[in-house]
Order: sequence, then structure tokens, then C-alpha cells
Amino acid sequence: MASTRNLKRVAGKLGFAVSIFVLVSPAILVFLWMLSLSLKNDADNTAFPPIFIPNPPTLDNFRDVFAKNNFLLYLWNSILVTGGAVAVGLLVGVPAGYGIARAKSAKFAFLILIARITPALSYLIPLFLVFQLIGLNGTITALLVTHLVITVPIIVWVMIGYFENVPMELEDAALVDGASPWQGFRHIALPLARPGIIVGAILAFIFSWNNFIFSVVLGGKTTRTLPSAIYNVLTFEQISWGPLAAAALLVTLPVLLLTVVAQRQIVAGLSAGGLKDG
Amino acid sequence: MAKVEIASLSKRYGENFVVKDLSIEIPQGEFLVLLGPSGCGKTTTLRMIAGFVEPSSGQITLGGRDVTTLPPWKRNTGLVFQSYALFPHLTVDENVAFGLEMRKLPAAERRENVAEALRLVRLEGFGERLPRQLSGGQQQRVALARALAFRPDVLLLDEPLSNLDAKLREEVRVEIRELQQKLGLTTVMVTHDQDEALSMADRLVVMSQGEVRQIGTQRDLYERPADRFVAGFVGRSNFLAGQCEGDGAFISAGGLRMACTAGVRGKGTLALRPEAVSVGPEAAHLDNSFEGVVEYISYLGSVLDVRVRLAPQDRIIVQIANRSGEVLPKMGDTLKVGWPATSGRVFAEES
Ligand SMILES: Nc1ncnc2c1ncn2[C@@H]1O[C@H](COP(=O)(O)OP(=O)(O)O)[C@@H](O)[C@H]1O
Ligand SMILES: [Mg+2]
Repeated sequence: MASTRNLKRVAGKLGFAVSIFVLVSPAILVFLWMLSLSLKNDADNTAFPPIFIPNPPTLDNFRDVFAKNNFLLYLWNSILVTGGAVAVGLLVGVPAGYGIARAKSAKFAFLILIARITPALSYLIPLFLVFQLIGLNGTITALLVTHLVITVPIIVWVMIGYFENVPMELEDAALVDGASPWQGFRHIALPLARPGIIVGAILAFIFSWNNFIFSVVLGGKTTRTLPSAIYNVLTFEQISWGPLAAAALLVTLPVLLLTVVAQRQIVAGLSAGGLKDG
Repeated sequence: MAKVEIASLSKRYGENFVVKDLSIEIPQGEFLVLLGPSGCGKTTTLRMIAGFVEPSSGQITLGGRDVTTLPPWKRNTGLVFQSYALFPHLTVDENVAFGLEMRKLPAAERRENVAEALRLVRLEGFGERLPRQLSGGQQQRVALARALAFRPDVLLLDEPLSNLDAKLREEVRVEIRELQQKLGLTTVMVTHDQDEALSMADRLVVMSQGEVRQIGTQRDLYERPADRFVAGFVGRSNFLAGQCEGDGAFISAGGLRMACTAGVRGKGTLALRPEAVSVGPEAAHLDNSFEGVVEYISYLGSVLDVRVRLAPQDRIIVQIANRSGEVLPKMGDTLKVGWPATSGRVFAEES
């Protein structure tokens, strides 16, 4: 009796481990392969059969990235666009989330949900036309504005969830103590929803940083963000795998670090807000 | 502190009256309790005074100031919530100081008032703690201190004791009442707990389904209940169905003729307090005197509740004191019971 139960448990655990492995291994393998590419010299990278372990490992590829490809310019562009879009997103999204949560407005919550679901691509053509009209195409400002399409809905959606968890009675208590609704928001609701602000900002950062299509279409030669800049390396120049992998690693690094550091908040935010890649 | 005047206050949601035509003047320093079963509109009334619920009609005046249309933050009322609603991210000091900060009091004065408020609720030395580091009773006192710190015109308490355990509740009752008397606070408290209401109030408003049934002191309500509802809600009553003859006589459903207070002729109810009934030989000399069979006895310690069947349809609970050395009735005994005519109050059948 007991042994069959034990067997079942072991089998269950094994099955779980195997399915985790199957799900995660493609991502891990691709990542490890990229890491391997970035640390090998050019000859090893094109060798057949492929060599996995760099011998000896080299940092030449990384040096190459900084030396040749204007990497720092694109990094700065990405920081401006994503940083700006997250900052403006917070400025707009936090009060909006508060308003929707407090008004219990299912209608507006639904609107935000639709904005979250709609593929970012479908915003692209109208935005492109508008920017053309006002002569903003190819500017950082245009990219920043476009990225708001990603950051604002994420932040609003996450904030709705967090503000709904701040008991109404606390703000009532503030009002009866003499606080105006603005002061109640500022001194009570906002500090209590601070974890939500952090989660919303992290998620918005990740999705905005990774976004690539907006910059491909709207970015100018010097105003691209990192992901599309790398894409350009891939297409137009002779493919040199080593520097490409090194650049790709450098681009993913902030997101990677953030994911590791803020794992718990991200999981909380994703399960509160629903998951969709911009 | 100030006088509170409420004139024909009503609140309607759709066609449904939650509070109906409430008028009362609360003199400065009075402790008024709104008493009634759950859902009768007590909280709504309190929230109208605080400014969270807009009245459908009527007027509220605080110290001569018409506040009917003012928002909560301009009313200067202190409110203690059932859940205390302490700000979890602020220390006790900061919680109590909140109202003062909103009123832009200078820091020195603020510190003084906070210390004073915490001293009043005997929480000196707890200022640095967060609410979650306090017991339920201490949190309740912080809520009280927060509501008092800015010297409100009226103190509002919404079932402030219902989250405390029974023993603590009785202590806190006394504390709040003493504090209220010492500071001369005009206070409106809401509760569904009869004991709590009776032990704390100067005056009570008994409400049912949004309507005021009676306003008066404990004694008014107990000795001269305005209707059957009040007779049943404040203290206990036996209710006997029957026919009122109009001239101080009542014929019960079981056919017993009882002397009672004068009432309207017709179908009605006789209300009789269990403790107003005498038993044994002395019962024979009273206006009403019957013999009945003891059906059930609840031994409650200081008193016994004895259920006596006077007639197949007429049963009453009789409360007798448990004095040492006295022979107590047993189930199945025949017992003489009696009460004076003035103890039996008749109410016409409610439509
Ligand atoms: N916003 C509202 N809309 C509709 N009905 C309400 C609303 N608020 C309260 N009520 C109703 O009013 C009645 C009285 O509520 P309340 O004042 O909270 O009663 P109490 O505090 O005496 O238990 C209840 O039946 C409740 O359902
Ligand atoms: Mg209530």
C-alpha cells in the first residue's frame, strides 16, 4: 500500500520535473548558445561541428560591440525612450488606476484590458501617419510617445488591482480627519499602493525595453533603440555571430538582472495584471 | 464641542427609505446612542452626519453651522470606525497627528496635542509603534485618540466595541463613557447591542427599518415603551396575543382575563416584563393572579428563567431571583404567578 503511494509520488515529481525541463529548456539552451557565441572567437563560431565550450574564452566580441557599432548611442536612445515612457506612464497611469479603482468603473477597466490585448502593431500605422503629419517621424519623442501604448495600460492595469486592495475606509478616515480627496490619495492610498507602483514600473520597463517593432518603423538612423539597432546589424552587414551575440546579451542584461532581482514582484504583477508581450 | 441638530433627515435609495424623517437635537455634551437591529439605517445616519452620505432631504447643523452640503473634510467631526481604519503605514503618533497636519497646526502644538490625546486613552509611550504591533483594544484606543486630537465638534462612534472580546468590551465601555463625560464630548454612537447602548447612553434613539420608534432615556424606553418593537428590543418582554377591551382589560388567546394599562380596543398584544412577575403566596394579592405549570427552567446563576404555562396558548417567562435558602420551583410544579395591572402594557396590533 505505502510503497505504491510512494511510487506515485515519485512518479508525480518526476513528471513535473520533466515537463518543467521541456518547457524551459528551449529558452535556456538558446540563452546558453548565445552566451557561448559571445565568448568564442570568429573561427570557433563558424566551425562545424559546432563548438559549445569557448576555448579559450575571449571578450573581444564585447570590445567589438562598443568599438564599432555606436552601441552607446543606441543604449542611450533606449534609456531615453523606455525611461521616459515608464516615467510618463507612471505619471498618467497611477492616478488613472486610482480613479478607475475608486469609481469601480468596469467600463474603463475593460477599456484598459482591450488596450492591453490589442497588438501593439495595430497602433503603429495611425501613429506613423500622425507623426508624419506633424513631422515627428524618426525622433526620440515619437518613439517615447509610441511606447506609452505599452507602458500606460500595464501600469494602469496593475495599479487598479493594488488600489482596489486599499480599503475605502482608510481614505474615509483621512477625509473625516480633514484631508481633501487629493490629500487622501497622496498620504494614504499612494503610499499603501507603492508595491504596485514598483511592480507596474518593472513590468512596463521590461515590455518597453524589449519592444522592437516601433523602433524599426519609426526610429531614424541615429534614433533607434537597442533591439532594432541589433536587428540592423543582423540584416545589412555581413553576419558576425560573435559581436551580434555579445550585443544581444548586453541588450537583455538589464531585463535579465531585473527579472532575477525582482522575481517576486514580477510574478505578483503578472498574475494580477494578466500577461501579454507588447 | 457643539450642539448637533438634525431636522427631518431622510435617505432614500431608489424607492427604498433607509432613514426616514429623523429629527433630534443633541445638546452639547450629550451621549446619544442610535440603537436598532442590523440594517435599520444606523450607519447611514452616522455617515450622513460625517458627510459621506448625502441626505435625500433634511438638514444637519453642528454648533449652529449648517453642514448639510459640506464635504467630510470641512465638517470637523471625529469618527471611530468599526474596523478602526488606522493608517497601517503610519506610526501611532503619525496616525493621531494626521488630522492636525491636515489642519496645518504648527509642529510644536501638534506634538503637544498628540501627546495629550494619547495620554487621554492611556497610550503614552506607544507613539513609535505601528498599528499592527498593537492589540485590538490598543488599536481601538488609537482610533479614539485620532478622532479626538483635533477637537472635533462631535464624536461619532460606529459600533466601536464590536471587534473586542466580551470582557474587554465592558471595560472599554466604561472608559469611553468616563472620557466622554470628562471632556464633555457631544457623542453619537451606533450599536445593535442593547446592553452596550443602555450602559453608555444619556439618551437613546431606537430605530427599526429606517424609522425612529422612540427617543428617550433608558428609563423611558424600559418603563414606557412606545410600541411593541421597543418593548421587545429594549429589555425583554413576554408577548401575549389577544383582544383588548379598551378599558384596562385584556382577554388572552387562552381566554384569561387580565388587568392592564388602558389601550385601544381591538386585537392587540400584552407585553409583560419577566422580572415584573411575582411568584408564590404574594402573587395572590396582585391585580392579576394565575396558577400555571412550570414547563422549563433555565438556571442562569443569579436569576432563574422559568417558563410557566397559564393556559394552552398562554405561556410566560418569569424571572425569579436566586436567593440562597429559598425553595426553587421544579419542572411540572404548579406555580402561583401575579403582576400589577400597570406592568401589563397593551399595544394595538401593528399594521
Ligand atoms: N449605497 C447603498 N445603496 C443601497 N442601499 C444601501 C446603501 N447603503 C446602505 N443601504 C441599505 O440601507 C440599509 C441600512 O444600512 P445601514 O445604515 O448600514 O444599517 P445598520 O448600520 O443599521 O446596520 C441596509 O438595508 C442597506 O442594505
Ligand atoms: Mg452598521
